[in-house]
Parts: sequence; C-alpha cells; structure tokens
Amino acid sequence: MIKFLLKRMLWMVLTMWVVFTISFFLMWTVSPEGALLSERQLPEAIKQNLERYYHLDQPLTYRYFIVLWEYLHLNPGPSMKLIDKSILEILREGLPISISLGVLGLSFALILGFASGIISALRRQTVIDVTFRSIATLGIAIPNFVLAGFAIIIFVFQLKLFPAAGWGRPIDLVLPSLCLAAPFAAYISRLTRTGMLEVLGQDYIRTAYAKGLMPTTVVLKHAFRGAILPVVSYLGPATAGILTGSLVLERIFFIPGMGSHFIEAVLQKDHPVSLAIVMVYTFLLFTMNTLVDLSYGLIDPRVKLDK
Amino acid sequence: MAEEIIMADAAEHENKPGKVLLDVRDLAVEFRTEDGNFKAVRGVDFELRAGETLGIVGESGSGKSVTNLAMLGLIPQPPGKITSGSARYDGLDLLRMSDKQLSEIRGNRIAMIFQDPMTTLNPFLTIDEQLTEVTRKHLGLSYKDALDRAIEMLEKVGIPGANRRVFNYPHEFSGGMRQRVVIAMALSCDPDILIADEPTTALDVTIQAQILELMQKLQDEHGTAIVMITHDLGVIANMANDVLVMYAGRKVEQAKVNDLFTDPRHPYTLGLLNSIPRIDEQVGAELSPVAGQPPDMSQTIQGCAFYPRCPYRIDECLQVDPPLVQVGTGTMHACIRDVTTLDPPTPK
Repeated sequence: MIKFLLKRMLWMVLTMWVVFTISFFLMWTVSPEGALLSERQLPEAIKQNLERYYHLDQPLTYRYFIVLWEYLHLNPGPSMKLIDKSILEILREGLPISISLGVLGLSFALILGFASGIISALRRQTVIDVTFRSIATLGIAIPNFVLAGFAIIIFVFQLKLFPAAGWGRPIDLVLPSLCLAAPFAAYISRLTRTGMLEVLGQDYIRTAYAKGLMPTTVVLKHAFRGAILPVVSYLGPATAGILTGSLVLERIFFIPGMGSHFIEAVLQKDHPVSLAIVMVYTFLLFTMNTLVDLSYGLIDPRVKLDK
Repeated sequence: MAEEIIMADAAEHENKPGKVLLDVRDLAVEFRTEDGNFKAVRGVDFELRAGETLGIVGESGSGKSVTNLAMLGLIPQPPGKITSGSARYDGLDLLRMSDKQLSEIRGNRIAMIFQDPMTTLNPFLTIDEQLTEVTRKHLGLSYKDALDRAIEMLEKVGIPGANRRVFNYPHEFSGGMRQRVVIAMALSCDPDILIADEPTTALDVTIQAQILELMQKLQDEHGTAIVMITHDLGVIANMANDVLVMYAGRKVEQAKVNDLFTDPRHPYTLGLLNSIPRIDEQVGAELSPVAGQPPDMSQTIQGCAFYPRCPYRIDECLQVDPPLVQVGTGTMHACIRDVTTLDPPTPK
C-alpha cells in the first residue's frame, strides 16, 4: 500500500513535469508575446518595463527554469491580464466553485446511473428497461452544451423553475450540475446494467437465494459490489470528462469557476494563468486516478496493489 | 444462548427415521425460449425419507438439477415455468408458496450445495459474513452468536484454525476447503433436507472421497436427509439408499441401491452400468458407452424417449411412452420389455 502510493507519487511528479514542459514551450512558441500583444500600441518604454517584469526580455529556456523554480515553491506568479490578482488568488476563488460543481455533478451521475442501471437489470426486457436504456443512449449522444441549451429553454424560460445563470445560492448549482452529470449518468447506467446482469447470472447469487435471503439483500449485498467494478474503473476517465465538461458549462451558466478563467486566459493569451490551471487539472486527474485504483482494491479483495 | 435456540429449533423439527419428509408428485418444468418450449422435467415423482439418501442419476440435461432447483423456486421465471405437480414438505406445497414463505424454508429447513465451490461462494465477502447471514436470518442470532456458530461449523467440517480462517475471503481457500465451507454454510441451520447438486464433480478424486465421507458423517450425526444429484455411479454406490435414474426429464428407473447395481431393469441404467470400468472385469476389456445423443427436448417425443439409443428397441416402443411399472421389492422402471430375459445385444 505504502509502496504503491510512493510509486504513484513519483509518477505524478514525473507526469506533471512533462505536462509543464510541453505546455510551457507550446504556449510561448505559438504566441511569444503572450497577453502583451494587443491592438493598442504601447509606448516603447512601458512595453520594455512590462517585458522586464514578465522576464520576456530573457531567452525562453532561461525563463523556463525561472518559472519551474517558482512552481516548485508553489508560486505560479502574477497574471498578465488581471494585474491586481496573483494566479494563486484566482485559483483560490475559482477552484472551490469548480470542485463543488464537479463533485455535485459526479454525485448526481453516480446516484442516477446506479439506480437506473440496477432497475434496468432487474426489469430487463420490460418497458422500464427499454425507456431507461433509450434515455441513456440519448444522454451519451447529446453533448452537454446542447443539453444545457435545451435545459435553459425548458426549465428556466418555460417552467421558470431555476435561475438562468449566476452563482452564490445553492439553487444555482442544480441545473449546471445536472447538465454536467447527464452523459456520465447515462454511461454509468449502462455499465451498471451490464455489470449487474453479469453478476446476477453467477453461481454465488444462486447460492445467496438458496440461503433464503430476500431479493433486496441479494442485490444490494451480494451483487452490487461485483456489478459496479466496471463503473469504478470508468471513474478515472469520467473525472477527466467532468473537468473538461465543466469548462464549457461554467461558460454557459456564467459560473466564475476555473473553467471560466481558463477559457478567458486562453483567449487572451494569458499564458501564466493557462499554465497554472493546466497544472491544477493534471494534479486533480492524477489524484482521482490513484483514488480509483485504491478503491478497486477495497471493493475486490482479490486485487492486490503491491506489485 | 445460541446453543439453546439451535437445540430448541432442532427439537421442534425432530424427524423419526423413515418418515416421509418430502413428497414430490408429477413435477413438470418448461423453459420457454425462442426455439420453442424446452420440456426439462416431464412429470417426476419421488419421496424422501428422514435420515436417508436419495441418489438422482442421469446425464447432463436429463433434468436432475432442474427438478430440485424448481422445487425451491430457484429457476429463473421466466423463461422457466413449473407447469404441473406438487412438492409437499411438512404438509405444505413448496410450489404454491409465496416467495417470502419459501425463503423461510430455503437455507433453513432445506439447504442446498452446488457443484463448483470455486464459484458458489461470493468472492467479495468474507466467510464470516457469508456464514453468519444464514443463521442471523433464520435463527435470529446476534452477530456474535452467529460467529461462534460459524466457527463451530467450520471446525466440524474440518477447517484447521477456524477461528482465524473465518475472517478470510473465499479465494484464500483451496477448492476442497471451499466445498467444506459450503457444506458448513448449508448445515449451519441444521436443515431437515440437504440437496447436494454434484457436490464432488469439480473436485479431484482424493478430495471427493473426503467430502463424501464428511457428508456421511454429518448425516449420521444430524439425521439429515440428503438428495444426492450426480452422474457418478461410484458416488451413488457409496452414499445412496434409494436411486432414481432420470432420462430426458423423466424417471426411468427407481430402485434400492443394491438392486440397481445387481438387477438393473431399464436399458438406460444398463447402459450406464456398462459404461463404467469394473474391477472384476478382465484387464483390457472395452467399455461400452451409451451410443447416440439425448433427444431434443423442445420437440414432442413420440413413444419412449430412449428409443433412438436403445439396443433392445422394438417397434412397439414408438407407440407409447412406457409407464412406470413395479417389479419385485420396490424397483420401478419405465420399459415395456423385460431386459433380464433378453440376450445382451450384439455390439454394432
């Protein structure tokens, strides 16, 4: 266990370094001036001052090492556009918002996916099963920004149940996180159904019935754990999907999370901010994948992590 | 505390040897598939007496497992369907019970063990979890009492270090040990009837002998009646008092175990006996397997189901499905010919 974690940590540091290096050089090679490139002609003296402030007067490789050194001290430096805020402050504001959206989205996806998947499996080849499966197929096929558009038209303008956009009240979270959850709920539902059907056909389920246990006990205690193994391995990629999904949805629902800042930073070529957010996403993804592998070992006792 | 409950429960269900515990009449089971109605069991009768072992023999697909699974409501419905019959246990018909009533009997009064111990235990749960849930449900024990009972049962079936091993997962046991665990689980409520569906088929021969010996010993101690489903005549010779031979979903012969081996009456039984090696036969003698394939059970069978494979067949066999007739001391067979007076057929 300890050995596994140490090994994972080592890999994480290595991965983050590679991501850092590639992102850094890509950004600065594609647009060497960063956010300083603007329509407005800056006086030469001001421009030189700014370049010195952001080390733009130094060669790229030299800057690479400076920035890497700062990152090792968890200091991503100043933004190029939002002069009054450091990148750390931007992250401190945006990250909790994005994370709560992501966690809520993932929870909705798991609850809806598990419930519909189990019911589908137990009532297979009935109207309920076919309905759930059709909805799931739609959910996978429709991109979340299209779904968000429809959701806004129906729930905001027609039914007037939710506010169109905004942030601060709990109700603001509901519609965005449901839209975020939809495709993942659909996928989890299908995985749960397949997993459940496979497990329900196993000999040990017949044994459980032969012991006189009631169907609810058999399904929840004996079948569920085996059935959700495929879902657990899907949670790694799902987290990545939730992160990128929230990029777009934060934009649609005007939520001031990391996604909004990220898109803003990319559009305005605010490279230091983009780089910092890329690094945060890398870290989140890696942590999530490690957690998934750990939980795999917890769910299935036959899985050994130390190798 | 646990002891008292178990003993009280056992006393209530005390069965005198020879008392009929289970009385199955005319049981028929179908599976409705896209390829037609597959008639897995076509009218089977048998009785099971307290303290005795009934062997059910037959090849794969003869309906021997389905008969017993159906009785306990363990076949998936649909596609399965019990089309007729009754199975009286303790004055009540198992086939007409609600799911709830039946679940009170399953694992409690009638327990089952299955063929493959590698797959019949849940790989995700520890043994203590799987053993205690039975006694907690049926005997109302607390977890602590149930755990004591589980350890006691594991010791009884010969698991060394039971008080430690009880917290292990199934994959930490060998196949033979797992089958012992399965037996301990099945017997932990001290059932009247144990249905063993090929309990030794998946085990190697030395382990088979140990498991059979264990079952015999536990039967002697507790007076449990056993239904032993198998295709292994060696197991039957060892364990059974009465034997029921099934072919194509029907009972074709029933006899006391000695009569079956010394005086078989149905050509299929005869075929089965000829297909196993005998120690008193000359070395190098060829075994004669039962030629051909069992019939397609989704089709209507005209006359005797064994006709196409029967060495003694005559045209009359196609006219009627032979009824069971009684001969001698309790042997019943379903054949219109008297194979004891006929010459053995010349091998083709």
